[in-house]
This record gives sequence, structure tokens and C-alpha cells, in this order.
Amino acid sequence: MSPADEAMARYAQGDAAAFDAVYEGVAPRLESYLRRHVRGTTRVEDIIQQTFLQMHAARGTFNVGAEVFPWALAIARRLTYDVGRKARREEYRDMRDEDDPDARAEVAKVVASGEELLEAREIGARLSAAYNRLSEPQRVAFELVKTAGLSHAQAATVAGCSVTGIKLRVHRAYVALRAALDDARAPVPPEAAVSSRAGGLLPAGGRR
Amino acid sequence: MSLSPDLKQRIFSSLAEVPAPTRTQVRRARVWLFGCGVVGALAIFFLDGGVRMTSRPPSLVALTSLGTAAIVGTGMWLLLTRGRSALGRPVSWLLGTALAASVLFIGWRYGVSAHYGEIAPWPGRPGFRCLALSVATGALPLLGALLSWRRKVPVSAVATGAAFGAGAGLGSALLVDLWCPVSYLPHLFLGHLLPIGVLALLGGVLGSRLLRLAWR
Repeated sequence: MSPADEAMARYAQGDAAAFDAVYEGVAPRLESYLRRHVRGTTRVEDIIQQTFLQMHAARGTFNVGAEVFPWALAIARRLTYDVGRKARREEYRDMRDEDDPDARAEVAKVVASGEELLEAREIGARLSAAYNRLSEPQRVAFELVKTAGLSHAQAATVAGCSVTGIKLRVHRAYVALRAALDDARAPVPPEAAVSSRAGGLLPAGGRR
Repeated sequence: MSLSPDLKQRIFSSLAEVPAPTRTQVRRARVWLFGCGVVGALAIFFLDGGVRMTSRPPSLVALTSLGTAAIVGTGMWLLLTRGRSALGRPVSWLLGTALAASVLFIGWRYGVSAHYGEIAPWPGRPGFRCLALSVATGALPLLGALLSWRRKVPVSAVATGAAFGAGAGLGSALLVDLWCPVSYLPHLFLGHLLPIGVLALLGGVLGSRLLRLAWR
């Protein structure tokens, strides 16, 4: 059990002072997860605040000995889903949103030239498309394990399925994304490259 | 990026506005709510005739009831509790438990009755009275369970509600088992197995509305 788990167990039994340790243990991980899925600091903080209020209100239902983070994450995901449903899909951020300053800065760090930037964007777009083609359960499983850093058992709890189910979904998502990445990195035959650039994806002049 | 410094302060100051019962208080409230449901179910059961031996040998009644109690008790424990997780058991677990307990219950009842030669058809008893009694006695504990978990389930609210319904259905099956002498298989399906499904469906529908978290 982590210190946050123990603190939550104490808080559930009425020790009000323990909530501080719960906050310190859970808030940064929640923030890290939410920033990848929700646009805007205000919205992220609203969801974090709401998550802690829900945890506070439901503290009496917390099982002593259980892990607090999967529970908090499940609440945050539920709230995020509600927010997203209300505000439609534009409230969600794509994995590689071109308008996202963080993602742009991240890309700018690793690319050296305009062509590499274009290539990186093309790969990003293909990966994003492949990611969006994943089934919802696969996407959720992949997010929980690969981006939120939960163990398979924790992710299974949050997603409400078996550990084997989570492993299978993550593996399938990984295989699909890996195939999309390999496909995007595969050398392009000269004729195909010319026709692709003529289609407006890349400027004329060839790829180095 | 990091959280704004005043977020923690905002959260801590808003906690006072939200009632937050402790585990002991929640447990007491649950026992009270679920207990009221069980008392209501017993009242309906006894008003409708209570335990009826009819022509059944006492040992048959005792054997079916004890076996059913063991199956139902295990099923209800798995369906109505959450194990060690704060989020409850996986949906596949709940579904498997509900199906296994229902099949075992019907199998036990039919098997023991067949051993005693008490499986003759009862043309005048298709099972509608047992169906009605099972749903009526199961509905109140189901409502108690749903109310005690109101707005507290972040994942699988429908499955949780359905599990509560199946658990309540299994509980009512134990009562109706004491009441009904008919072990003819079509009767068992209509009057004893179907109510578990009906209550599970009702639990799922109500669960989607009552159990799911709502923005405060």
C-alpha cells in the first residue's frame, strides 16, 4: 500500500487530517493524466477539484486496503466523459493536436528541418488516425496502461474488465499502432512520393 | 505545467460544503436501508402465505432450502460486495456469478426434487404467481441497495445495478423456494429463474440513473 492508500483508508474512517496526504499522492498523477485528455488548465483543475469532492463525499464507501489512485482515476474519467459529452468532441484533445503549444514544442525539439517537421507531422497524423481507429475498449486500455501508467490489474479495475481482457486490448492496440508507425516510416517509392507531394501533402522537391 | 497554487486551498475549503459520512456511518446507513428492504420483502412473503409444506416431505424442503441458501448466499455475497477493490468486481465476474448462481440454484432445486420424485407437471401452475411474488419480494431489497449506493459508482453503473438486481433476485428465490412446491422444469424457468433476470434488468435500468456519479 502506498502512503496515499493508507491516508485514504484513514480519511474514510474519519481522520480529516489525512486528506492532505491523499491530495499530495493523487493530484499530480491525476493532473498528468488529465492534461493529456482535456484541453485547458481551467478545465483540468475543475475536474481535479470535482474528483476530490466526489472522493470526499464517497469516502465512506472506500474499502480499507484498496488502492486510491485507480478509484480517483475512475472518478476523474467519469467526470471527464461527462464534460466531454456536454461540450462535444471539440473539448477533447487529439493525441497530436496541431494547435496544442505543448505538442508543437515537443515536436520542435526533435526535428531539425522543415522537411523532417513535415515528415514528423505526417507520421503523427497517421498514428493519430490509427489511434482513432482503435475500438473504444482498446483505446481506454491503452491510455490507462501506457499513458496513465497503471498496472494491468489497476487498469482492469478502472475499466471494469478482467486483467486478461486488459492485456489483450493493450496488446491489440499496440500492434495496430506499431503497424501504423512501421507503415508511416516505410521507404516511399519515388513515383508514389511524387504523386503524394503533388496531392499537396509535401512541397515539390523530393525528400532527402 | 503544474496545478495552480490555490487549487488545493479551493478544494479544501469546498470540502466543508459537501457532507461526507465516514465508513461506519455509511455501513450503518446501508444496513438500515437494506434491512428495511429485507423486512419489507419478508412482510410481503408472509402476507402471501409464508412457508408452505403442502405435500412435500420436510426433508425435501430442508434439503432444497439449505442448498439454495448456500448457493444464494455465496451468489449474493459476490454480487452485492466489492471485494478488495474500491471500484467493485469486474463486469465479467458479476455476469459469471449471476449466471452460475442462477443455474446452480435451478439445478439444485430440480435435482433434489427429481431424487424425491417430485417433478410431476402442474398444469394449473405455470409459474406466474411465483414470478410476481419473486419480483415483489426482490424489488424492495434492490431499491435499498440502489439507494445506499446512490451517485457513488464511477464505473459500470449499469452492471453494478444489474448485479444488485440479480443478488436481490437470488434472495427472493430463497424465500419463494420455501413457498412453492412445484419443481416442474418449465415452472422453475418461468417462476423462479425469470424473476432473477427481470430484477437484474430492473437493477440495470435503475442503476444507470441512480448509481452513476453526477457533477456536484
